[in-house]
Amino acid sequence: MPRLVRKLRNWTARVLDLPQDVVLDLPRVTLIGGIQLTVENHRGVLHFASDSLRLAMEKGELEVTGRDLTIRNIGPEEVLVEGRITGVLLSKEAFPPG
Amino acid sequence: MKGSWIQYARGFVTVKLAAGQPGAFLNAALADKLELWDLYYDKDEKLVFRVTVPDYFRLRPLLRRAKGRTRVMERHGLPFQMARLSRRKTFAGGLIGFVAALYVLSTLIWNVKVEGISRMSADQVLAAAKAEGVYKFQWSFRLPDTSVIADRIAGRLPEAAWVGVERNGTSIDITVVEAKKPDVTAPESPRDLVATHDAVVTYIVAENGRPKVQTNQRVRKGDVLISGIVGEGDRTKAVVSKGEVRGLVWQEYDIVSPLVRKAQAYTGAANDRKYLIIGNRALQITGYKLKPFEKSDYRSDIKRLAWGKWTLPFGTWDEREQEVVYQEQTLTAEQAKEAGLAQARKQLLAKSGKGAVIRAEKILHEQTENGKVMIKVLFEVEQSIVSERPIVQTNQLPGQAIQGE
Repeated sequence: MPRLVRKLRNWTARVLDLPQDVVLDLPRVTLIGGIQLTVENHRGVLHFASDSLRLAMEKGELEVTGRDLTIRNIGPEEVLVEGRITGVLLSKEAFPPG
Repeated sequence: MKGSWIQYARGFVTVKLAAGQPGAFLNAALADKLELWDLYYDKDEKLVFRVTVPDYFRLRPLLRRAKGRTRVMERHGLPFQMARLSRRKTFAGGLIGFVAALYVLSTLIWNVKVEGISRMSADQVLAAAKAEGVYKFQWSFRLPDTSVIADRIAGRLPEAAWVGVERNGTSIDITVVEAKKPDVTAPESPRDLVATHDAVVTYIVAENGRPKVQTNQRVRKGDVLISGIVGEGDRTKAVVSKGEVRGLVWQEYDIVSPLVRKAQAYTGAANDRKYLIIGNRALQITGYKLKPFEKSDYRSDIKRLAWGKWTLPFGTWDEREQEVVYQEQTLTAEQAKEAGLAQARKQLLAKSGKGAVIRAEKILHEQTENGKVMIKVLFEVEQSIVSERPIVQTNQLPGQAIQGE
């Protein structure tokens, strides 16, 4: 995204009091009590094992750790993970500048 | 899971990746936009996932590249069910047969109802409907449009002003509006009009037939007033004679009128009592201390509980006891006479028919005896004196004299 566009969007989100994920294409992670996790705006699966799942983001990566992980459903925008989730880790690049 | 019935319709399988690199395979599958779901690793650390049947066949090239091998664990969905059904031929036949029977039975007409008839019989309407092909167990697809049927049935029912046909699923309602018909007048046979009393004719108008008397003419009971035989000589004809004839009739009355008149009157005193009714028994609730009157008249108002159309065996009963006194009134001879005459006049007018008028009255004899006034009075009443007498048609030669003329 061009720098100017990103700045404009940032400004719009601030002025109009909009959620950032709507405007900035950021991942939205919903965790329900350590048993269910929804990740929106992902960019594909990097690695999947029963104890970890690494997802590619617009910027950086997101790692879900736990046990007996199951990908309940996977689509181009959204991943639904179930199992005993013990951690959600965001890599450094995942934070937008500013 | 979203669109799970679509997956069910297309059929899906649970697959285990028995050999090969799960990571490489997974990325390749996702890159190929294959729809995989319920992915997990089983106890042997093998990837297990679900995929629709068409996508399963698209997996093959990927597997070859990833050097994988799959094993189908479970089969779900319609294609597999159908395959199973095709092995159970009787069951499948029954299933199809049931659906077919349901469809066939629902295309039949099961009920034909007729509404709105009072004079015509339902059978008459149903027969007309049957002639137009509307009957029980008819195929509904053989019936034309309801408005067409309605027109045709109306054509077969001359007594109906309008016919409406409505189809509700497997039943047909025929609504008939009956045509209003003028009242049928009973055919009348030829007749004469004859006198009911000895009288003096005061008024005669013949609508039909030939008048035989004139005003101020004296007639005897049974005399022909308006004859039903018209024409002369060979050309006589019996008709239904009609007309109005009035005459003065004398009636003698013997009147007895008492000099003492008894009348019943309420004093205004009353006792109210209330009862509760259970079955055929009544329980008095109020008015125990009230003393009954010497002479009284009772009025009861019974209200029963009702539930819908049933009357329950419970209710209330309001009783009113009204005190009564008997009054005796002594009249003078003149008053008693007047009362008797008034009574006689009323009776006379009631007896003489509509439009009767008392023209004159004359007291012939008057006597007071044993506390009574006895009067003999003659009334002169102007009233209709017409009664009908049929003309008995015999096989007479034309022109022959008719008896009673």
